[in-house]
Amino acid sequence: MKSSKTLKTILLLSMVMAAFTACSSKGSDSASTGTTTPSGETKTETAAPEGPLSKYPEPVEVTEVMGFRPAEDPRTPKGLTPDKNAYLQQLKDMLNIDVKYKWTVPTDQFEQKFALAMASGDLPDILELGQKDYEKLRKQDMLADLSEAYEKYASPELKKYMESDGGFSMKVFSKDGKQYGIPSFEDPFLSTQLLWIRKDWLDNLKLQPPTTMEELDKIAEAFVKNDPDQNGKDDTYGVALQKTLFFWGFDVRGFFNGFNAYPSVGDAQTAWIKGNDGKLVPGLIQPEMKQGLSMLQSWYQRGILNKEFALKDENKVVEDITAGKVGISYGEWWYPAWPLNLNVDKDPKANWIAIQIPSISGPGKSLVPKLRSGRIYAVNKNMKNPEAAIKMMNFYIEMGKKKYTDMLKPENGFVYNWFSPRVYNPGQIETIYTEVNKALAANQTEITLDDENYTLVKDVFNYVKDYQSGSTKIASKGTNWGGYFSRVAENGGWGLTRQIKEKQAFVSNEFYGIPTSTQVEKGSQLDKLMQETFTKIILGAPIDEFDKFVTSWKTLGGDKITEEVNAWYNEQAVK
Amino acid sequence: MLHKPSLSRRMFIVLNTLLLTLITVLGIIPFVHLLSISLSSNTAAMAGEVKLWPVGFSLDAYMFLGEKVEFFRSLWVSIERVVLGTAVNMFLVFITAFPLARPNSQFKYRTVYVWFFAITMFFGGGLIPTYIVVKNTGIMDSIWALILPGALNVWNMVLMLNFFRSIPRELDEAATIDGAGYWRILWQIYLPVSLPSIATIGLFTIVGHWNAWFDGILYMNSPDKYPLQTYLSTLITAINSQMSSMSPEQLKSMENLSEKTLRTAQIFMGALPIMLVYPFLQKYFVKGMTVGSVKE
Amino acid sequence: MKLLRKEYPLHLMLVPGVILTLIYAYGPMAGLVMAFQQFEPLSGFFKSEWVGFDNFTYVFNLPDFNQVLWNTIVISLFKMVLFLVVPLILALLLNEVTRRWFSRFIQSAIFLPFFLSWTVLGGVVIELFSMDGPVNGIVKSLGSEPIMFMLNNDWFRGIIIGSDVWKGMGYNMIVMLAAITGINATLYEAAEVDGAGKWKQMVHITLPGIAPIIILLSVLSLGNVLNAGFEQILIMYNPTVYEGADVIDTFVYRLGMFSQQFGPAAAVGLFKSVISLGLVSITYYAAYKYNNYRIF
Repeated sequence: MKSSKTLKTILLLSMVMAAFTACSSKGSDSASTGTTTPSGETKTETAAPEGPLSKYPEPVEVTEVMGFRPAEDPRTPKGLTPDKNAYLQQLKDMLNIDVKYKWTVPTDQFEQKFALAMASGDLPDILELGQKDYEKLRKQDMLADLSEAYEKYASPELKKYMESDGGFSMKVFSKDGKQYGIPSFEDPFLSTQLLWIRKDWLDNLKLQPPTTMEELDKIAEAFVKNDPDQNGKDDTYGVALQKTLFFWGFDVRGFFNGFNAYPSVGDAQTAWIKGNDGKLVPGLIQPEMKQGLSMLQSWYQRGILNKEFALKDENKVVEDITAGKVGISYGEWWYPAWPLNLNVDKDPKANWIAIQIPSISGPGKSLVPKLRSGRIYAVNKNMKNPEAAIKMMNFYIEMGKKKYTDMLKPENGFVYNWFSPRVYNPGQIETIYTEVNKALAANQTEITLDDENYTLVKDVFNYVKDYQSGSTKIASKGTNWGGYFSRVAENGGWGLTRQIKEKQAFVSNEFYGIPTSTQVEKGSQLDKLMQETFTKIILGAPIDEFDKFVTSWKTLGGDKITEEVNAWYNEQAVK
Repeated sequence: MLHKPSLSRRMFIVLNTLLLTLITVLGIIPFVHLLSISLSSNTAAMAGEVKLWPVGFSLDAYMFLGEKVEFFRSLWVSIERVVLGTAVNMFLVFITAFPLARPNSQFKYRTVYVWFFAITMFFGGGLIPTYIVVKNTGIMDSIWALILPGALNVWNMVLMLNFFRSIPRELDEAATIDGAGYWRILWQIYLPVSLPSIATIGLFTIVGHWNAWFDGILYMNSPDKYPLQTYLSTLITAINSQMSSMSPEQLKSMENLSEKTLRTAQIFMGALPIMLVYPFLQKYFVKGMTVGSVKE
Repeated sequence: MKLLRKEYPLHLMLVPGVILTLIYAYGPMAGLVMAFQQFEPLSGFFKSEWVGFDNFTYVFNLPDFNQVLWNTIVISLFKMVLFLVVPLILALLLNEVTRRWFSRFIQSAIFLPFFLSWTVLGGVVIELFSMDGPVNGIVKSLGSEPIMFMLNNDWFRGIIIGSDVWKGMGYNMIVMLAAITGINATLYEAAEVDGAGKWKQMVHITLPGIAPIIILLSVLSLGNVLNAGFEQILIMYNPTVYEGADVIDTFVYRLGMFSQQFGPAAAVGLFKSVISLGLVSITYYAAYKYNNYRIF
């Protein structure tokens, strides 16, 4: 009896001890993470030599983490992994910087894995961040001030890029005169909505491209009823749409713009438009929306929208476009490069054109974001050589020059999107457009441009050359056409977009901050409410449901968010 | 026993066969669908035209698959994981289920232990704490990170425990009289008569290791260490990340991602090895095995 | 002392399992504190703000929570029952198949869908039930208008439940088949001599023989009452069926839409764990008290 009691005690004790040590060891570790530095230990103290691309006399080790996509080029050596990327060897040779990846993960899982890294206090030297994580890290005072390093080391090209928008984006990522992040931003007009429509179908039915919603309505109906592909079968519908109404493609952002309604830029929240009183108002709940919704409802009834659009994700819609089942889609400049190219490959007769979005009164204004910045590069406060990050940006830009072209081939193991930080020319698409067109006008056989944009321009130029000569040695007809029509053609994707930009036919989404606290708390509810209500209205629910939606939206947190967004606008927005 | 089956019995057999055949067909359909896509031309596949028969027959996908170093590298990691992981898991299941299958009269603290394990079936700390523990035990980025955290599968252990309990008690009483210790009873008596249940739990363990993909993402620091299912998961991104606009760079990868047939071929080939495991294990599902040995 | 010597090897056998469980299952449980914190990865467990039960009240007071809880329970209850009944029927039917190769083939086919992820299967299911899919083909040939199955709350729930059972039924079926093989064959021989038919043999020998396993599976499935199948629903649902198919896990997933909310997610996890553990322990002790039978 006694022995069993002793045993019990021993057993319990040992279990408790084990549990305790397990917990405490973990505890002390995560406790220390806030203060100790994960980075600085192995650094050698090196005096940084001057110059944007000067080589360090002693090797400098830099740690990074990376979300990556598969290497794009099929000629890339088989089985290459990001840590063997030839860019890294080149960087070592040129600047004596050793990049070490703490981990690499497919892009989709990056956010998850990065949260884990933050929680376990294991952050690298150079950070590639989204806006939310950037703000978090900055508030926790974990980012280095890059002002000095940028001033001293940024190459003329990098500076030119950052100043190309009048310093707006740089200012967004600075605080109290300290530069905490270098944004890789793009021309916000890349988000301009266009209407893509099959010209061959219009021709078959002897119709003209639409300029008003009314005309669009008639055309869309004809695409359903009048056998636009002339195959004798009732197998086509009007407008492509997938289940998430505001998305990055195949959605109804541009459609609503045609009613002077500006609901969203494609994320799960409303867009914010400057009202008459100078305050920001949520576009999602404005009365103009109602007219648009009732037209969508009518479109659904008349089969212009697919009966099961609410089931289709973007892949399913792309299948319909490829198969030639649908002839109209709202979207951005890039559609020809994907997925319209697939349709062209499937059906050589397919001929897509872009037009400015029709509205109730002639060509309409598209919603455009204020800031388009996918990535922000920042540096861990504990990094010994913050200027190395700037130099690496210089390096990547430098590698676009003509003298490196021969070396930079994918078969040599150079994978551009496995290198970080890569800051692009924010106006790269415009550069490509003008340079390629210049070369075409002069009947050149090669690009003569000789600056850091060379590689980009040359790649597109080659597409266009192949497209014009009909060569399919490197890529299919559709791909060549897509490269040409998205980036170079005068009335193609970018060609039309830049005309719209010139005409200033746009409305700005004024909010570009991180989600406000009420947005974080209630945003998913509001989004669900919106998706549910709008989808039901389109499927046939009474249009007055919209008014109920507006009331609920406001009381469920929308009003509070409006206040917060306006407070942000008054205090923090860069004007 | 040689009498002719009754009419109702014969009718039952016919209906039973029909019903089971129908269910079989339902189970096979998705695989036929995948196989057909992988054997079709890419444009037909992209246009969603392929159902149960290839459209524009083409072996290209499999030609390309042959050159996919990533596929075979991950396949090897998976095989390694399954072999090592199953060995560890099964061993732990045996040595844990055996004591817990004793009646409370023979093992006083049995119930305490059982609940100590059972609670972990319902409570977990979640992603972040588990990650931190794995990191602090120093097995990050090694195959052990895929094996140790789940080394004792409590569900399988409880199942094994129940199978062990159905073994007739006389068996080990006889052995105890012969002076055999618990270890010998486990290895020489319990395991040999438990082949069907070992095959069952072995199958679940193998399948579990084979199908797991998320821990690969979490604990492996570079893609060359991913097991096959983790690698395959990177090919299909059905739940799209919350991107709100397409940058020129993302666009480039979309242009190149249109290899539906190749993706499908990899998914199909990725399921093939594990599909072959079950028929192999089935030979241990033989009736009366337990009884045969009891009689000896 | 005698007891200690006798039980000592049993304790020893449990050591590896106990250590691994302590480290990898109990260790991370420290992270349950997240449920009471405004957890922020950068601050970690020690510097995150403590908020008491705020996370719980926040989630429970969200406007749709009751609906979502109800959906979860309905869907998971149907799944629980079907996951026992369907595999049991299949196992019993398979038990009557005399040709071994046929039986094995069917078993493999039934188990097949288990090897494919919902990311792959979800698309197949949606296609099957779409307007111009094969199911509507049958509907049309019967003279009815095609049905939009996936946009109708009732049909959609049915499809979610049915397709999950179809995908996972092989698992429990195999457990039950393994249990059937463990039944003493002499019992059947004796019944045969007594002139008992196949039906009687099934009712009086097979069913009682596998009763312990069926009870075990039922009790353990109670632990899943708040798991309705996250991945499956996330891939297959759409705004028109939120009303009937939005479940706790998808709801919590969407809470993280704008910024991952670790605290509320952990609170829901803890809530689910407590409910599961409660249900399972109640049944465990009920079985013990009234039947003097320990489920595990």
